[in-house]
Amino acid sequence: MRFQYRLILFIVLLLWFSGIFVEWLISFDNHFLFALPFLQKTYSLVCHQEKAKLLLFNNGETLTCARCTGIYLGLLLVSFIFLFKNFKKKFPVKFLLYSSVPMFADVILYSINVYHYSKFIAFSTGLLLGSVGFLYLYSGLNNLILEMKN
Amino acid sequence: MKKYISALICGFGAGVLQIVPFLRSFSCCFIIPLAAFTSLMLDQRATNSKEKISAKKAIMFGIVTGLYAALFGSFFELFITLVTKHNDIISTFPELQRMIEGFPVTPEIKTEVLNLFQNVREEILTKGFSLLYTFSVLMNNFIVNTIFGAVGGLVGAQIINNRINNPSN
Repeated sequence: MRFQYRLILFIVLLLWFSGIFVEWLISFDNHFLFALPFLQKTYSLVCHQEKAKLLLFNNGETLTCARCTGIYLGLLLVSFIFLFKNFKKKFPVKFLLYSSVPMFADVILYSINVYHYSKFIAFSTGLLLGSVGFLYLYSGLNNLILEMKN
Repeated sequence: MKKYISALICGFGAGVLQIVPFLRSFSCCFIIPLAAFTSLMLDQRATNSKEKISAKKAIMFGIVTGLYAALFGSFFELFITLVTKHNDIISTFPELQRMIEGFPVTPEIKTEVLNLFQNVREEILTKGFSLLYTFSVLMNNFIVNTIFGAVGGLVGAQIINNRINNPSN
């Protein structure tokens, strides 16, 4: 994939990830306050936004839960790495399935009260899935670009 | 139209999942990508196809599933708001007010934002309809669901193609 496409992908993911921290951005530019209710609605489509599962920071909280924030951070971090190196290797699908096991195990284990919900575990398992998930998103986009060229 | 019947079914399911309060808690970021993946699987089953799915087909199914989910999700949300004159804007308004008061921003901006949402709230309470709210629902649903659907289609196609290549998996 050409550098321009990788850069666009990174910028899109960066914008999406930044939106999660809009409450923090308000302290830099007050006008972000107008966007807050709109963005809350946007992220509510992709996250349950349960109060107890949101990440807290200085003067606010994230608009997505710890797990979703982890997933999006994983996608963003790996897309950043891919800016500098164009990996052409195809990854077996089993990697994606294996990387989702800790996340699903965490959901099941805390749901049946084996342990209490932990933001750290939720975030970490999300981060793992997001990081690996990017490889398949990238590969899919690569296939699409190749098909369009032919 | 008939070509995308599986996308219609899965998009409808995802649209419903996005608005039912209890089910909504399960609708994490996977619901639309999963709907796109399922629509591709259903299409493969329906057409008895053993061929690999092209990225073009995958993204089209993903986008169409996302569009259907947005269409049904928006329709149900706006219809329920119209009938009940109540929605999440109404129920979360006091919390939003407290939240806005707590932000370190100028009083003018706080007043402007609160007035804007107070107007939306009053329109919904009296008429069950607000142009700004409708615009926000439509924009959000159509943009977010389409993108997540496309992602689900692209990743889902790789999983299905892997199973075609390795039937033992």
